[in-house]
Amino acid sequence: MRSPTILGVRPTVLLGLYRWRVRAHPGKELLAAAGVAVGVALIFGVLVANTSMTRSAGDLVRSIVGSAQLQLAARSTDGMPAGVADQVAAVPGVRNAVPVLRVQATLVGPGGRRPVQVMGVTPALAELDGTRTQGWGRGGLPLAQGLTLPATVGRAVGAEPGEHVRLLIGGEERAVVVGTLLGSDTIGTLDGMPIAVAPLALLQVLAGMSDRISQVLVQTDPDRLAEARRGLERVAGDRLDVTAADHELRLLETTARPNDLSTGLFAAISAMVGFLLAFNAILLTVPERRRWIAELRMQGWAARQIVLTLLFDALVLGLLASGLGVLLGIVLSRTLFDAVPAYLAFAFPLGTQQMLTAGAVLVAIAGGVLATVIASLLPTLDLRSPRPDLVLAQPGEAGEALRPAVTKTLALAGLATIALATLLAMLAPPLTVASGVLLAAATLLLIPAAFDISTRLLARALAGVRRSVLPLAVVELRAAATRSIAVACVAALAVYGCVAIQGARSDLIRGLDRNFGDYLETADLWVTTGGDDLTTNSFRLPAGALATIERLPQVRSVRRYQGGLLDVEDRRLWVIARPAEDRAMVPASQLLAGDLTAATDQLRAGGAVAISQAIADDRQLALGDTLELPTPAGIAHLRVAAVTTNLGWPPGAVILNATDYRHWWRSHAPTALQIDLQPRADRALAARAVHAALGDTPALRVQTAAERTAQYASLSRQGLRSLQQIATLLLIAAGLAVALALAAALSQRRPRLAWLKVDGFSSGQLWRSVLAESTLVLLLGGVAGGLTGLYGHLLASRWLQIATGFPAPFSLGGLEVAATVGLLAAIALTTIAIPGWLAARVPPRATFQG
Amino acid sequence: MTAAAAPVGSAGLELRDVVKHYRAGTELVRAVDGVSLALAPGEVVALYGPSGAGKTTLLQLAAGLLAPDAGEVLFDGRPVPTSGERHDRLRHEVSVILQATHLAPRESALDNASVRLLATGRSFREARRLARPWLERVGLEERADQPAGQLSMGERQRVAIARALASDPRLLLADEPTAALDSARSREILQLLVDVGHHHRIPVLLVTHDPAAVDVVDRAHTLRDGSLLDGVDATLLGLA
Repeated sequence: MRSPTILGVRPTVLLGLYRWRVRAHPGKELLAAAGVAVGVALIFGVLVANTSMTRSAGDLVRSIVGSAQLQLAARSTDGMPAGVADQVAAVPGVRNAVPVLRVQATLVGPGGRRPVQVMGVTPALAELDGTRTQGWGRGGLPLAQGLTLPATVGRAVGAEPGEHVRLLIGGEERAVVVGTLLGSDTIGTLDGMPIAVAPLALLQVLAGMSDRISQVLVQTDPDRLAEARRGLERVAGDRLDVTAADHELRLLETTARPNDLSTGLFAAISAMVGFLLAFNAILLTVPERRRWIAELRMQGWAARQIVLTLLFDALVLGLLASGLGVLLGIVLSRTLFDAVPAYLAFAFPLGTQQMLTAGAVLVAIAGGVLATVIASLLPTLDLRSPRPDLVLAQPGEAGEALRPAVTKTLALAGLATIALATLLAMLAPPLTVASGVLLAAATLLLIPAAFDISTRLLARALAGVRRSVLPLAVVELRAAATRSIAVACVAALAVYGCVAIQGARSDLIRGLDRNFGDYLETADLWVTTGGDDLTTNSFRLPAGALATIERLPQVRSVRRYQGGLLDVEDRRLWVIARPAEDRAMVPASQLLAGDLTAATDQLRAGGAVAISQAIADDRQLALGDTLELPTPAGIAHLRVAAVTTNLGWPPGAVILNATDYRHWWRSHAPTALQIDLQPRADRALAARAVHAALGDTPALRVQTAAERTAQYASLSRQGLRSLQQIATLLLIAAGLAVALALAAALSQRRPRLAWLKVDGFSSGQLWRSVLAESTLVLLLGGVAGGLTGLYGHLLASRWLQIATGFPAPFSLGGLEVAATVGLLAAIALTTIAIPGWLAARVPPRATFQG
Repeated sequence: MTAAAAPVGSAGLELRDVVKHYRAGTELVRAVDGVSLALAPGEVVALYGPSGAGKTTLLQLAAGLLAPDAGEVLFDGRPVPTSGERHDRLRHEVSVILQATHLAPRESALDNASVRLLATGRSFREARRLARPWLERVGLEERADQPAGQLSMGERQRVAIARALASDPRLLLADEPTAALDSARSREILQLLVDVGHHHRIPVLLVTHDPAAVDVVDRAHTLRDGSLLDGVDATLLGLA
């Protein structure tokens, strides 16, 4: 019986041919596989980095709110009277009303400190049947014995059950016993989240919020949701919010969206670069595959059979290399990616676990296999020619020639692609992601023409140069055009990705630095609770401390700054309440609409606000319109005096006068003291004196404006960590890919180098020539990638401003381009130096062996 | 020992009782087994032999690319070095022509003919100036600016010869230079090599299967099982 065939080829023959090819060129196949693996690792890594942190928050919310459908929430950290919970319980249709108090604090143990959100709960919480709180009911977890901590948090601060830790809360330091540490076996993904749980009564005492709560979680009777909601709205009036119980998830999604969008842009560009790196790794083997096709044709193989063998090779190579790439990606992800952005952690309790999903694995593998298959099948274009022998009959290395017509067509396609990318970005900004991807492809399409023109010019320029290997290097580059272009493409992609992404990230960082610089330069010293926050944690001042500070000889004036976070619809807004005496009311660098002087005057006078563009867009507000802002005292009507960027807080910010804030928030508690010093006062000494006046409490921190600016700079960088992670991953992948491409090219040069030896060139000359070739090809790729990268950077920054509201003013990063090209060249040349030296020592007789 | 005698001049090549054996697995291959051969300046010698007879090995020994196990290879009356500075210098004086031309397809015929001269530290401009007459000598003056990729096989081989001669070599070794050519082109190339050898008094050792060579060279030998025989076996010329 005949064994089955596929298109007339037996599977055993396919396997045999594949083994034969691998054995004939083990080095080339290995390097190609490594190149694909690096590309796949990049795709996988950016997919992991691009995983929205909102997924992890979902666990927390679901585990707490359980079957609760609604909540009644206070509009400030001062909360609402605990008696509201009883009113809610009495609302028709409400089955359970569970009070919760949430307070930001810093947990200090013998092993360290960590900001946490402390949740004050009652055993009634268990009645909501949250996935992780079912055991917290009566007779369940010993809530009465103190703080309950996730084991990860406990370990971070060195806390043990039964021991005391300190809680820095509301500007005061409190000692509290640790009741229980709960591991992931009990609380699942809650372990690792920056939270602490305490009995409600205990937290009220610790926070000095006697008889106050933050929210009431509501479980309704079946089919009485609407009725219960109406009842809750009556209780809430215009001073509390009635929302879905899991409303916090939507707030988090809105907050994370700009970051997700920018990460998405970076990830898309990087994934495309990864895909093309994999593609180019295989492209390096095209000449060898062309020879293979020619030989099979001359032996009488049919075209479909040849395509089948190439496809089989590609699938095997693609799958193996992609699997390796995913493993490499996991290693890189675990090394590079860690916690969620700190800027979110103080506004939302978020976990730190990575999201290594099956989807990411599948997409990365599919990308790698697809790149391998497409690049492997490119040589089948030779099947159109009736003369298979022509490939072998070409002078020089067979399969290395690239026809001028092809070069010209690719160049025209490249220019058209750039035009298309520009049109997309200009006419439809949301499609800027596609523009970035198109630019990466355009970079590749333009390389062959750039290679041809630049090497011609170089050859002409070097015609009179003596005792130099450069003329030989140019000849050699042109002799292996396909290979040289493939290496240049890898370098170009690497530089393109790095420049576009690093540039856009730098713009963001610069924009945020300027923003926070403006925001904080309104005082010489800042007194705050000291957490990584946006100055939103209020505190109580020790009795007489303010007067003592005002009397200090270094101090000129002291002002009470206030602020907080306010949930309005799906946005958790940053509220900035500046004293009218502040040096500046609006950060000048962040003004998008309005006159700075006029806006400042209006804000100082009161009844006016500066709002972020996103809020203005949501509400369709223009300068002079009235913003209706829900506050703890009711709906405030405030005139829009200016429109700003989002001031670095993704959902947007509202700036108003501190007097207005005190009126509408019914709160005098500062979230910061702004202190101006006498001219020539020593700031460090003054800071120490102020801290002493505050009783040297660790719960309050005195920082100079420069120190606080540095803290914010660190915060903003941490906030953009996923962008940095992607940029770092891209740089590592790019360095590896360029080194691998050079190594692959070098491994194919042995016969040619041997011939040059026969022709009289010494090992030293050839080594220098190899290095010169590598440098030239890297420079060519680097310049091409740098130019399109700068353009990509421009489009990306423009889009970041439009789509995310972040301050990201474009600035030309010529130095950064040079540094990126230099760094990649250094990595690649260092990698290639020794293999190049060994290759240059090839014995000349090797030319007779091939 | 088989010796092929010829008058050896001051710039001649001489192999004396040269032996080169290889191990192929457990088997000992006597690639060159006590060969003596002398080429006087301007003398063109063809070397025939069946595949695997050791012809290419002999050529590599003559070029100093391989060290003999026994015997001597002399050029100018001095042993041919297989490594070191003298060996590097010798490579500038010994030109090798192969069946594969190793031309750069995008470069012109003239540039391809000039490349070898870059090894001596000359600029491309100087190299072109020196190579151009050789390109004319091989009949390609009108194709000098044509990319090598656009030349016919015979023209490419002539460029390779021009490249080999442009550096003014003192010994020319050719390994199957006409293998890929039709008979008319082969004869043309062979005659060119002979003319060059005679005219410039360069010893030329030509490894070939081409029956046409025997009619144009000064002497022909057969290498069989590592041993050199005078004359050419008719079976090797396809006459038997």
